[in-house]
Amino acid sequence: MNTDKHGFKALLLRHETILVLLLISEVIYFNAFGRRFGTADNVTNIVRHSVEIGLLALVMTPIILTGGIDLSVGSILGLCAVLFGKLWRDAGLDPWLAGVCTLGIGGLCGGFNALLITRLGLPPLIVTLGTFSLFRGLAEAITQGVDAFTNFPESCLVHGTGQLAGQPTQAWILLAAAKGVWLLVQRTTFGRSFRAIGFAPEGARYAGLPVQRRLAMAYVLAGVVAAVAALTYTARFGTAKADAGTGYELFAITAVVLGGTSIFGGIGSVQGTLLGVASVAVLSNGLTRVPGLMNIASELSGMLTGALLLLALASGLLPKMLADWRARRHSSSQSAQPKLT
Amino acid sequence: MKRYFRELSVAAALGVMLLLLAVFAPNFFEPQPLLSRLTAAAPKLVLACGVALVIIARQIDISIGSLFAVCGTCAGLVAAAKLPWPVAMLAAVVVGALGGALNGVLVAGLRLPSIVVTLATMVTMREALRLKQQGVFINLPDGAQWFGLPMTAGQFTVCGVAFGLLVLMAFAVKHLSAGRFVYAVGSDAEAARLAGIRPQLTTFLVFVLMGAFTGLAAVLNMVQSPQVDPNSGRGLELEAIAAAVVGGVAVSGGRGRLWGVLAGLLLLVCIGPALTYVGVKPYWEKAIQGAIILLAVVADGLRSWKGVNHG
Repeated sequence: MNTDKHGFKALLLRHETILVLLLISEVIYFNAFGRRFGTADNVTNIVRHSVEIGLLALVMTPIILTGGIDLSVGSILGLCAVLFGKLWRDAGLDPWLAGVCTLGIGGLCGGFNALLITRLGLPPLIVTLGTFSLFRGLAEAITQGVDAFTNFPESCLVHGTGQLAGQPTQAWILLAAAKGVWLLVQRTTFGRSFRAIGFAPEGARYAGLPVQRRLAMAYVLAGVVAAVAALTYTARFGTAKADAGTGYELFAITAVVLGGTSIFGGIGSVQGTLLGVASVAVLSNGLTRVPGLMNIASELSGMLTGALLLLALASGLLPKMLADWRARRHSSSQSAQPKLT
Repeated sequence: MKRYFRELSVAAALGVMLLLLAVFAPNFFEPQPLLSRLTAAAPKLVLACGVALVIIARQIDISIGSLFAVCGTCAGLVAAAKLPWPVAMLAAVVVGALGGALNGVLVAGLRLPSIVVTLATMVTMREALRLKQQGVFINLPDGAQWFGLPMTAGQFTVCGVAFGLLVLMAFAVKHLSAGRFVYAVGSDAEAARLAGIRPQLTTFLVFVLMGAFTGLAAVLNMVQSPQVDPNSGRGLELEAIAAAVVGGVAVSGGRGRLWGVLAGLLLLVCIGPALTYVGVKPYWEKAIQGAIILLAVVADGLRSWKGVNHG
């Protein structure tokens, strides 16, 4: 894809523009056919339900930009949720202190991934596949498969169910994370190095970038933010169980790729990821509001998300195919052969 | 000896574990429970064979768990419609091959990254199945279970089919040119192309084969119970990939042996029951499986690291 093209046409072909159009058409459709879709309550609902996936997708973006992947974020979420409950209930820590410790644990989990990926040079896909099992398994082992932590004090559930300045508290957390990751990835030389690594790891190293350290940072950040997501998840449901966040890693990757980030690394943006999260969240919520589709809403939204993902991938090929086609037409019109079409 | 080091070390680990079990928990080797366990693992062996090929060709397929459920449901519906039993089996394999062909077209034809393509098809197939079936189990007609054989004979048949397929594939990838093509494409697609192999066609056919194997695995799974569960197969893709990786198939493509995959799978499926026999709580199974996967990749990493420094 050419990023150095300017002008209206280039803007129209940009991934983000297409996503905005998709999002707008979703909103128009659901407003017209859905019941009580546009109400303030429902908007709050959408935000509350998309915070965890949103957080995971945000930190997945720099990782995929470097050409890596992290399949373990959902499992880190589960492990952190369980350990948060354990620290609070069984170790008797103050919930806030337990929360801070949870963030540290998330960082450690991410650090473990980073250690194996950077020090031993192992492929991220397989390392995080292993830790995907390991972290989820530890969560199951700690809870003996059945234990669930409930009855958290009201005061520490505020970031899951409460409101701040008229908006759900999670919205602010997501907003802060989005701003933070956006600044990091799009506005600092630090963040640009993620793209450089994704384009050409060797080249980045020769250019003097500390490739291993930057990679490690991306995975540690993912661990910490997965812990934040664990806290909001626990607060939203009021319980911490070992199966918290199962399958979230796939939703997060879907949102990132839907947002236009290339799975090979080097290309992508945080705005795109946010739009990807929003379009999936609006789709899955909106379908539950349309009479006649309500009963099959979750299946339908899953199918449409999968189809959208394939479309997003294929649309990346479009500019190249268009150019090929033009080149072919150009050469055939110059030749003396009669055209068949 | 050195060439087979990776496979031999997995086999040795498996041997040590079985030996420990023989000493501390001889109950593990009682024929009937052991046979049941092997039967339950047979579909996974078929899947792991296919996934090993896909990984050797330097691709990945995470949609097989969903495809497994789709194939099982299709075969179940055909069988429930009172059509003869072989037709149902054929239906599962054909549906599987079609699903694999879809992945293959997207990966080899459009050259899209296989991890994302199969992520998308995984979600789409799973949800489409949920939409169609709404989680309702399909009751199979009488006589469908164990291919209509007595239970023990049926179990032997299931294990025999899976093991026979493994032997066949192990022979094919070693001695048929088609099998060598997969290795060639996986280690260097461009070099393979220059040598006259068609990499895209090879990749496509590997995905089709993966799909057909998924169908067969679904059949081997279906005959084990009187009902078909449309929610089956969740997480199966990761188990199959784990078996291949533990068995010494390199994720970077072009390397791996199918009998290593057999050892890897047996190690992973025996560890759970083995733990319960020595008194560890079964909740640890998943964590220990994860640790084994990590151990296997770390061992690979250390070996190649040493190779770089001293080679």
